[in-house]
Amino acid sequence: MNEENNPHDKSRRKFLSKLFMGGGLLASFALITRNGIKYIFPSIESTPLRKLLVGKDDKIKIGEVKEVQVGESALYLIKNKDGYKVFSSVCTHLGCKVKWEDYRNRFYCPCHKGVFDSHGNVIEGPPPRPLDEFKVEVDKNLVYMWIEEKSTETV
Amino acid sequence: MNEKMKEWFMKRVPFNQEKASKVMSKIFLEEPIPKHMKNWYYALGATPLILFGFMVVTGILLTFYYIPSPNKAYNSVRYITEEVSMGYWIRGIHRWASNLMVIAIILHMVRVFFTRGYRKPRELNWIVGILMFAVTLTLCFTGYSMVYNQLSYWAATVGTNMIKEIPIVGTTILDFLRGGQEVSSNTLTRFFNLHIGFLPTLLFILIIIHIVFIRMHGVSKLEGKEDDEETYSFYPEHFYHTIIVALFLITFISALTIVLPPGLGEPANPNITPAHIKPEWYFFAVYSILKFVPLKIGVFLILALVIAATFWPFIDDMLRKKWPKIKIHYLVGSLTIILFLFFTVYEILVH
Repeated sequence: MNEENNPHDKSRRKFLSKLFMGGGLLASFALITRNGIKYIFPSIESTPLRKLLVGKDDKIKIGEVKEVQVGESALYLIKNKDGYKVFSSVCTHLGCKVKWEDYRNRFYCPCHKGVFDSHGNVIEGPPPRPLDEFKVEVDKNLVYMWIEEKSTETV
Repeated sequence: MNEKMKEWFMKRVPFNQEKASKVMSKIFLEEPIPKHMKNWYYALGATPLILFGFMVVTGILLTFYYIPSPNKAYNSVRYITEEVSMGYWIRGIHRWASNLMVIAIILHMVRVFFTRGYRKPRELNWIVGILMFAVTLTLCFTGYSMVYNQLSYWAATVGTNMIKEIPIVGTTILDFLRGGQEVSSNTLTRFFNLHIGFLPTLLFILIIIHIVFIRMHGVSKLEGKEDDEETYSFYPEHFYHTIIVALFLITFISALTIVLPPGLGEPANPNITPAHIKPEWYFFAVYSILKFVPLKIGVFLILALVIAATFWPFIDDMLRKKWPKIKIHYLVGSLTIILFLFFTVYEILVH
């Protein structure tokens, strides 16, 4: 029997051509999808920390709240009896900006009426956790805080 | 000359003209409409479609001047509203039509719900309708985020943060929408893309599926009158009905635009959340829930409500089998309307 007319050969050839065709299509589809996903979701790099001088220890009174503008974001430096604390102004509920209200001694978020005390703890409203804190250190009467160096532009 | 042109055309686009015109006439003109549709309240299905048409036209015109960049978006909207000839009218129609579209869809859904228009075999068309409502609300959300005023920015921030709370897929959707850690230029261009491309196309496809379903099943007849209700053909009476609705709407929306022109608000400031900020009225109920309950429970409640609404025809069917004498859809429908109105009016009245 001629080799070319062998039905086993024909079906094997058919199977192999389907396998390579299907496999090729599947592989290219997977590659296109992977590249597409990589394009749509930009890689978010971890932000480096930076030390920032915010004031002199003897010039800040206990109970005083200082708003520090770092790039586009505002941070709050608070001197309590037990030391300094630096809070993010981003509400832990849905990301609006809280504002320090001196006359009420609290942080207030206007979006969903969340309220935090001077230690950053939630005292009213829906926020699920205290305000985010940043590391702060005092070195030879100088107050420094460690903040994230943002690389993305907001506006 | 005319004959020659016709012959030229028919050679290039060969189709049976007579047969095609018969089919078209059967599909569009002779559609049997049940007699109860002569009541104006039953024109509410066509109303959102007409409003969608207005928004497509005005939306295309708005893109002639709108610039989707954080530094330029607000000014381009101001330019359209204050300087471009008839710009305030085009933008006003776009804005008011979107508000009226939400109202018209809600009213249409109320009508379908209370007359149980979703009952067997039309369950799938109810689901298509729910999807259309969800797409419309997303279009509204991405639309007012594009003005790039304070409401836009903070609504985009809050809205995308809420999405993060959706179990399993939340963070991926958040990253997809924002294109970064915060609401940024990437977010605005993505919203713009969704608003003018993907979402209107999706809505258009869903509208076609919705209409095809209606044509396949026929317009639903009132419960209990399925067999003996008379019908009349779509053309001319119901067609004129629709034209009158369209003419009324364009007049009404123009009047609204002149009496209550679209505002601009303060430009977006990512550093300051304004003291009084609220979303558009149709999100008041959601906004209210989020104020009073913890975030995870709030998002869970909203998701549960959406799932229940989507599969309501099947839920209703099961409940009716268990309690055949109680009209559960009346109870559920009335309670939903009361709660929605309560929260909406509450947020209008309270600061």
